[in-house]
Amino acid sequence: MEFKDYYQVLGVSKTATAEEIKKAYRQLARKFHPDVSKEPDSEQRMQEVNEAKAVLSDPEKRLAYDQLAQQYRSGQDFQPSPEWDAGFEFSGRGFEEADLSEFSDFFANLFGQGGRTRQKGRSYQMRGEDRHAKINIDLKDAFHGANRTIILQVPQVDSQGRVASREHTLSVQIPKGIKAGQHIRLIGQGSPGVGGGPSGDLYLEIHFTLDSQYRVDGRDVYQTVPITPWEAALGASIETTTPSGMVRFKVPAGSQTGRKLRLKGRGIPGQEPGDLYMELEVVLPPADTDKARELYKTMAREFAFDPRQRKGG
Amino acid sequence: MAQQHTVSGELIDEVTLTLEDLARACSVKPDWIIERIESGLLADGSPYVANWRFTSHDLTRARRMCQLERDFEAVPELAALAADLIEENQRLKSRLRAAGLIDDADGPS
Repeated sequence: MEFKDYYQVLGVSKTATAEEIKKAYRQLARKFHPDVSKEPDSEQRMQEVNEAKAVLSDPEKRLAYDQLAQQYRSGQDFQPSPEWDAGFEFSGRGFEEADLSEFSDFFANLFGQGGRTRQKGRSYQMRGEDRHAKINIDLKDAFHGANRTIILQVPQVDSQGRVASREHTLSVQIPKGIKAGQHIRLIGQGSPGVGGGPSGDLYLEIHFTLDSQYRVDGRDVYQTVPITPWEAALGASIETTTPSGMVRFKVPAGSQTGRKLRLKGRGIPGQEPGDLYMELEVVLPPADTDKARELYKTMAREFAFDPRQRKGG
Repeated sequence: MAQQHTVSGELIDEVTLTLEDLARACSVKPDWIIERIESGLLADGSPYVANWRFTSHDLTRARRMCQLERDFEAVPELAALAADLIEENQRLKSRLRAAGLIDDADGPS
């Protein structure tokens, strides 16, 4: 495995004080926080940063790491001798198992009872960690339910100690009526257990793929429907595509652009189904032929109509 | 090499999470969850342990608070406040998107 330079990960010097390390960590934690970060690999970076902080913020581990670091450069091939920590007295405040499973092999080898005890331990058994992933589905899948194949990248440490991602392909049943932000739990699809322990679960957080036609708020769906001036003025029964299929509805006479018509219960299905809102948009036919221009001129003559006057503008 | 599984999951909310489920999903001990419920920072603050069942929203919120506390050494109240603000921001963005006023759904929401 490769030697990791934890100082480089946090961007601090080897002589950084505890306060400087804390500060660098917080700055990076803010930068890579999933709710604000726009970096594509923020999750992986945050994991590295957490690992570096776990070592450098603990005076005992930092001292031991510094001693070891004198012999290695970042990225260099690294094999700790079984006695590497001889001469150091640790307080015994170990890491949570969750930390060990999140962190790299490099970390587990140094500070976990990690690699070593797990191989030796006869009765050591642990349930695998739960894992989390966000996935995007089409809005239509929430209306009808669907079977979708998803491919997740699972970070894994290879035999060389490098972090590489493995593809985890799953065919998942998307239940009808699911909303953005809801989770699907897949039992036993998380991290594998240790020593015969059961696997953890995988939680999928659902989001909808961006769609130029539909907008979603909770279970309510909004769509813009283009209509002709005469349909708006005279009223009409029109047909349009919706996420649940073709729907015919009435445009009331005297409608204008921006008018919203609510089709109750036609949003995302559920015990309390959402509503579907049709937002009307009046589209003028182009005046690109003599006949079309003549029709507009006729309207101009025949209508005593000045929308600016009516609005007081 | 890709492995193919066909799996049918549980929709959280139709099925709710137990205290142990939620704690495990957040990599924390159940006490961490209990303290925050009793302080009114998580779930509905119900004091009746038997009624503790958790939703998708609780899961997202608990994970977010856990991360904020860990990354910034934030006191639970501050993490809850940040989580409140993030949730409010998401609600408003969702309404703005529905009204067609923004279309930046790519960014963090």
